[in-house]
Amino acid sequence: MNKSYDIIVIGGGHNGLTTATILAKKGMKVLLLEKNKFLGGIASGHEFIPGYRTTGLVHDTSGVRTSVLKQLGLEQFGLKIKNARPDAAILAKDGRGIFLPSDRNKAIEEITKISKDDGEAYRDYRIFIDEIGKFLFPLLNEIPPDLIQFGTKELFALGKKGLALKKLGKKTMTELLKVGPMSVADFLNERFETEFLKAGLLGPSIYASYTGPWSSYTTLNLLMWEVCAREHIVGGPQALVNALEKAAISAGVVIKLQSEVSSINVDKHGMVTGITLKDGAVENSPIVASSCTPQHTFLDLLAPNVIDYPLERSIQNYRSRGTTAKVNIALSNKVKFKFKSDDTIEYARTGNSIDEMEKAFDSVKYRKFSDHPILDIHVPSVSDPTVAPDGHSVLSILVHFAPYHFDAGWNKEQKDRLKDNVEDMLLDYIENSRDEIVGCEVLSPVDFEDQFNLTNGHIFHGEHAVDQLITRPIPYCARYDTPIKGLYLSGSGAHPGGGITCAPGFLAAERIIKHKD
Amino acid sequence: MPVKSPFHPRTSQLCESMNYKEWAGYYAVSSYLVHHDMEYFAFRNSAGLLDITPLYKYSVKGKDAASFLSRIMVKNINKLKVGRVTYCCWCTADGKVVDDGTVMRRGDEEFFVTSADPCFSWFSRFKRGYDVQLEDISTQIAGLALQGPTSRDIIKQITSADMDRLKFFGTTRARVAGFEINISRTGYTGDLGYELWVDNANAIKLYDLLMAEGGRYNIRPAGLDALDVTRVEAGLILKDVDYYNALHALIDDRKSSPYEISLGWTVNLERAPFNGQKALKKEKESGSSWTIVGLDIDWTEIEKLYNSYGLPPEVGSMAWRDSIPIYKDKSKKTQIGYATSGTWSPILKKNIALATIEKKFDKPGATVQIECTVEHIRHTVSARLTSPQFFNPERKKSTPSVENKKQ
Amino acid sequence: MKGNYDAIVVGGGHNGLICAAYLAKAGKKVLVLEKRYVLGGAAVSEELYPGFTFSVASYVVSLFRPHIIRELELAKHGYEVIPMDCSLSPLPNGDSLARWGDAHKSRREISRFSQKDAEVYPEFSRIMTHMGKLAKEVIDHPAPDINSLKIKELANLLRLGKAFKDLGPDLLHMNIKLVTMSALDFLDQWFESEVLKAPMSVSGIIGTFQGVRSPGTAYVLLHHYMGQLDGAFRSWGFSKGGTGGISMACANAARSYGAEIKTNAPVHKVLIKNGQAYGVVLENGDEYTAKTIISNLDPNQTYLNLVGEKNLDDEIVKQVKRFKFRGSSGKVNLALDRVPEFSCRPGVGDHLRGDIAIAPSIDYLEKAFDEAKYGSFSKRPYINAVIPSLTDPTVAPPGKHILSCFVQYAPYNIKEGAENWPKYREAFGDAVVDTMAEYIPGLKDMILYRQVLTPWDIEKQMGLTEGNIFQGELSLEQLLFQRPISGYAKYKTSVPSLYMCGSGTHPGGGIMGASGELCAKTILQSRSI
Repeated sequence: MNKSYDIIVIGGGHNGLTTATILAKKGMKVLLLEKNKFLGGIASGHEFIPGYRTTGLVHDTSGVRTSVLKQLGLEQFGLKIKNARPDAAILAKDGRGIFLPSDRNKAIEEITKISKDDGEAYRDYRIFIDEIGKFLFPLLNEIPPDLIQFGTKELFALGKKGLALKKLGKKTMTELLKVGPMSVADFLNERFETEFLKAGLLGPSIYASYTGPWSSYTTLNLLMWEVCAREHIVGGPQALVNALEKAAISAGVVIKLQSEVSSINVDKHGMVTGITLKDGAVENSPIVASSCTPQHTFLDLLAPNVIDYPLERSIQNYRSRGTTAKVNIALSNKVKFKFKSDDTIEYARTGNSIDEMEKAFDSVKYRKFSDHPILDIHVPSVSDPTVAPDGHSVLSILVHFAPYHFDAGWNKEQKDRLKDNVEDMLLDYIENSRDEIVGCEVLSPVDFEDQFNLTNGHIFHGEHAVDQLITRPIPYCARYDTPIKGLYLSGSGAHPGGGITCAPGFLAAERIIKHKD
Repeated sequence: MPVKSPFHPRTSQLCESMNYKEWAGYYAVSSYLVHHDMEYFAFRNSAGLLDITPLYKYSVKGKDAASFLSRIMVKNINKLKVGRVTYCCWCTADGKVVDDGTVMRRGDEEFFVTSADPCFSWFSRFKRGYDVQLEDISTQIAGLALQGPTSRDIIKQITSADMDRLKFFGTTRARVAGFEINISRTGYTGDLGYELWVDNANAIKLYDLLMAEGGRYNIRPAGLDALDVTRVEAGLILKDVDYYNALHALIDDRKSSPYEISLGWTVNLERAPFNGQKALKKEKESGSSWTIVGLDIDWTEIEKLYNSYGLPPEVGSMAWRDSIPIYKDKSKKTQIGYATSGTWSPILKKNIALATIEKKFDKPGATVQIECTVEHIRHTVSARLTSPQFFNPERKKSTPSVENKKQ
Repeated sequence: MKGNYDAIVVGGGHNGLICAAYLAKAGKKVLVLEKRYVLGGAAVSEELYPGFTFSVASYVVSLFRPHIIRELELAKHGYEVIPMDCSLSPLPNGDSLARWGDAHKSRREISRFSQKDAEVYPEFSRIMTHMGKLAKEVIDHPAPDINSLKIKELANLLRLGKAFKDLGPDLLHMNIKLVTMSALDFLDQWFESEVLKAPMSVSGIIGTFQGVRSPGTAYVLLHHYMGQLDGAFRSWGFSKGGTGGISMACANAARSYGAEIKTNAPVHKVLIKNGQAYGVVLENGDEYTAKTIISNLDPNQTYLNLVGEKNLDDEIVKQVKRFKFRGSSGKVNLALDRVPEFSCRPGVGDHLRGDIAIAPSIDYLEKAFDEAKYGSFSKRPYINAVIPSLTDPTVAPPGKHILSCFVQYAPYNIKEGAENWPKYREAFGDAVVDTMAEYIPGLKDMILYRQVLTPWDIEKQMGLTEGNIFQGELSLEQLLFQRPISGYAKYKTSVPSLYMCGSGTHPGGGIMGASGELCAKTILQSRSI
């Protein structure tokens, strides 16, 4: 075969860039193909109104794996990381709020101002997170054990995990097993009394999920987020993308933009031979790593008869019902939150009460978006004033819940309605007035799909449901390699899942290296 | 409760024995008379008329119909010519047989598929990426099998379509007394015979016409009991008897590959990917573990065995479907397989069976032992391994017009 | 004080009676004390209206363990279950879906809504039946204790691990899905028609405070496919004379082995000395002593009422208090003066001799659940109705009939506070009758008598905390080695000599009898009596 590249990476998001760079640094000849004019995928920011930029479609960088960034050497390309999760504010509708600094003791102090018991409870909560983190965090940073092909080796590996769990001590282990399957509502109700605090804490457990806080297993999602939220990137995801791009180029990765792949080519032995672009150009390579969603990879890019039915069925049953929309707001002033009138708050979450969050989710079941959505707010202009004109602000808001499967259809009228809902909600929490809103952009899950090939507009490339975490995305390709020889998954649809972590891209690269050796 | 086929108003009148069984949710006549002998001999000596409506029937149309079916079937349907029928099976991804049936090519982009189990859902699963319309027409189309030496002559009486030119496994449209039917030269008796496919609305008319014109050719309505004898004679396997649908099998041991059920000849391996290709290639290379063989059971030994009890040989005239152990030798130490169906063949005057045995014991002509219970005691008798095709008359495949031209 | 008993069973529900029967059969001297005038607990038949015998609470028999019937010779003692042949789901548009024992009939019926579904339906059953093997492993043995490193426990875990491994890779993953997915998501993997999925999915939520889209509800679907493993073709049926018939058979068996059973004997407290249980005191002051006390009551009643907080460690109290009940269902029993005919299928036939599910769409079920989530009973609830009098003429006078409606959701904790349930009882009953009347023309004119049981009533009458019919939510963190609490999940309680044998212990839920049986066997194995 005419081999032009050692590996082709499809998709120039943060995971694709990570895979490409790691492999190029190992001396491989790597081609990276990106559909859009720019790199970064949903980690990239954009100018949504002249003069106003976001720093990422999604903005939570707290789970980014510093160990990976170090291997990529991103600091030499200007990346600044803070080794602490960002300070965040939890907002209540009545104008109250809690400022939750990353520093634990300060956070406890803040919570104690509202409720002494909750301050204590928060301390215990964080200790519990630290404890279980010893078990959970490593799990999320390694190629997962093979849970499906049960053999002695696998049993041994599993046994080791069992022992690691036991090492937590009886009390912590028992508690983890007890609360893991619980609904996050039950879990937090057992611990805290202040309703809006609970609502604010639980946010990450249901973002982009198809569950509300009363759904079982949501505690597991909360705990997973908590044990990973250890860092954040100065300048948001776009800063990460910039550094990744420089690192990739410096490592020798050939990057082609506006190069949408139309098919992954497979020979009659079921081996990958390369890809064909939309314009008909063919690029050859014995290895292809796809950082696209599993559905796009298997169902759109591969010919129907090269994948066996059990695999196809498994992929079709992979659940990725998008439930998140994005609203970017340009403001002609600093953002002033009601509960704390300084203008330094960069991250804020709403929720107000568990039931209100549950109701926000309820609407999804009836294929509607919520009239009272939950807002996950980032104000990038606080730390980077250059994203907006002097004195102005940008609010980057992830809106939950707004379903991809939407009876009314995502037309302009519906988007305007969503925009109004979000503005109404927002104005409950900030002192700024509606007149200060310069402009607004609404991105629906359908827009995500159109622009980034995100199946059903799911920002995590598939729901973080237990069965889709244990063998992500599906048992046939839960360890990055797939039944198609030479094809690897390296996006958020692979272990350990979505979010700006760079972990799937890194682990996929590790797996590829292992196979090459 | 089973439902009635469009022919039921006629067949129920003729079914004096009231002897029915359920076939795919339909009432199906087992034998019209108390004994099925006359019906069997109609198949072999004149013509038997059997209601085959309970078969599942699918229409596959569209630009990609042929490649769609090629993806599903073990045979390369792209190569099937218009006006031809093929018999084949279809497999799961791991190369295990789901069902078997016939595929008829009625036009460039038009196929008619029959199956024993409902397969609409199974076929639908592979539509992605193919420009094809799949329709279940099982309840819209009625079917009749007219099988036996005089079947061609009878059909000639009711249509002007050229039956003398319709070759074995050919199919044609035919006009009959003001309506159209499809005729395929196929069947399940291993004899000269045809299957006629008709819209429900014209079913009774077709039935009456055949019975009226068939009178002087000794046509006779025939049931499943007679059919069962003929299909064993012809060595034709039956799903759920000689093998299991892989989708229904709870354990892997119950699943079979085409090679293991003597359908290896239907597999076209070297072509575009199809269901089960990888697994079948592998099996083809490494060899199969099982195979289906014919057993010619030693009649003299059976006679002797019965005589030793002071009895004449008691062999039922019905075909049987119990699983009977097959041993390597009289010691019964090594079971090498099991017979799945068998019958006394009235025309061959032989006791025959179809058996699944381990491939390594498949040596044509070799003698094995089959269990035989006489007076509640289990014995064995010898049986010779043969091809499963015990009866294969020349008339099955002969085409008068074509052969006349040759001479 | 009366003594000399080997064991006293507090509560004469079917599990308590089975436990007593097993112990008596082993030669132990056993006393059963039941609070009410009638035995059975929630598996009880009562003549509430002259001539009509109601299965007041539990109304169908599904998973009763066949080996219990064999070992206690229940057939000899009056156990008689009549199978149900049909599951009917009427639809608001006048159509309906009926699923039958006859596979081809079901296929034809389902294919009216989706041909694919019709063909996949038996495929699904086969897979579920196959997986049921694992569930059987789980429910027929005490839960393995993952905290323990004892050889016996490890062997138990290995046995379960082997059962898992034997399933093969695909089914193994299917099991992970089964335990963690919602009933609806699980069914979505196979089926497309809501007409089919809605009535199938409700099996996952019966008796729980969950919706069909709630993760973790898929597991219970499996229970419907386990009957076949027990050698019975149809596992669902009516007990002759109402479900109380089963309890009576268990009681008869227990008596035949020498057990003593007292009704109208409400137990006030378990007597404890030096931290050890040694007897019980009745509300009338009578005391009975025994080597072992077994509570058939739920964990809350057992620990917090019978034993009392003062006799317990704080940690135990904390764990008991976090055990969730959240009764979510009610029951409306109607005596009718004629056969209730359904407009979707007029006439009387086998379609009425099975269960009838009012579950016309997923949105309908979710709306019913959403109302409950925020503290109201469902105005249009999911109803599982049966007309046992069509199958068993002994329960109603000739020509008259019983329509028994299991209703979900009726949350125990209504927003007005549970104690206000009596004020809403009749409104709840009306909602159920109104709903049924949409499918049964003239229903309201047929009603001779109506009994409405809210979760509040179930708690008060049957002593089930928060009216939970399974003695505690069947959610994963309350199953297996965590039912009812981690460390005390094998019928032993934290109080020496006090055991539990109710549905609040593993495997819990439904008329299964397994908890009672396994408790008795655990006690006998421990040789403590």
